[in-house]
Amino acid sequence: MTLLLASPDVSEETIDSVAARRIAAEARDRVRFEEEALGLSDQVYRVARRLVSSKEEAEDLVQDTYARAFRSWRSYTPGTNLRAWLLRILTNLNIDRGRRSQRAPDTQPLEEGDYFLYNKLEETTADGNQDEERVVERLSQDSIVEALAAVPHNFRDVIVLVDIGDFTYADAAQILDIPVGTVMSRLHRGRRILKSELATSAVGGGD
Amino acid sequence: MGEPQIDLCLKCEELLQPYLDRELNAEELLEAERHLDECGFCRKRYRFEEHLRKYVRQVVDEPMDPALKARLAALRTPLV
Repeated sequence: MTLLLASPDVSEETIDSVAARRIAAEARDRVRFEEEALGLSDQVYRVARRLVSSKEEAEDLVQDTYARAFRSWRSYTPGTNLRAWLLRILTNLNIDRGRRSQRAPDTQPLEEGDYFLYNKLEETTADGNQDEERVVERLSQDSIVEALAAVPHNFRDVIVLVDIGDFTYADAAQILDIPVGTVMSRLHRGRRILKSELATSAVGGGD
Repeated sequence: MGEPQIDLCLKCEELLQPYLDRELNAEELLEAERHLDECGFCRKRYRFEEHLRKYVRQVVDEPMDPALKARLAALRTPLV
């Protein structure tokens, strides 16, 4: 800019037009960012809905996430995973809101083994030889939603990100700011807790 | 159900999760698939886990309210 000012050939108008072009380019980048982010809102909401317990909370959280994302869009690096970037904002906001009161330690009482739910479902099926798909479909939608909500937050977060959000372990680790190994161990444990919840709520009543 | 080979099945249990999450490297993938070919016990569990995850994902899905989508669109920076 100093060079431009020093040059006798460069008029005020040219300087203005350089600035104008820069502003226009930035506006274009911002519009592109906002449109791209909005295009991901269904996916962001899907994850948010299962991270918190009510529809209203999820809606507030998504709205605050987009407000913050649009304010700080310059800190997003184009070409990186925008969905993960948005979810990172969302999970941080969720923590800030103090919705972590139920946070459970990584050590939980020992749950039933991985095969417990399967055996339980198969046991209660009249025809013990049904295929796996049919067996799974004995679980009601309500019981699954309830069972997932009953999994403690830090285990549920990774399940929601990986199983529902379809994030890789590495993305989930970055979003939650925990090591990949912790993602894996929480997933393993969280899924066991989920299955044990399912076994009790869905079929445990005993029919 | 075939006779489970305990050592391998423990190994398999360890590989089950990353296998379903598509996070195994080529060598581990081969190991997991070779074992699945041989062990009916594990094969059944893998299929169950696979269906369970697909099913959970399907039933917990709750579409976003169009009103929220409109509110999000309204957050965009106005074009001058």
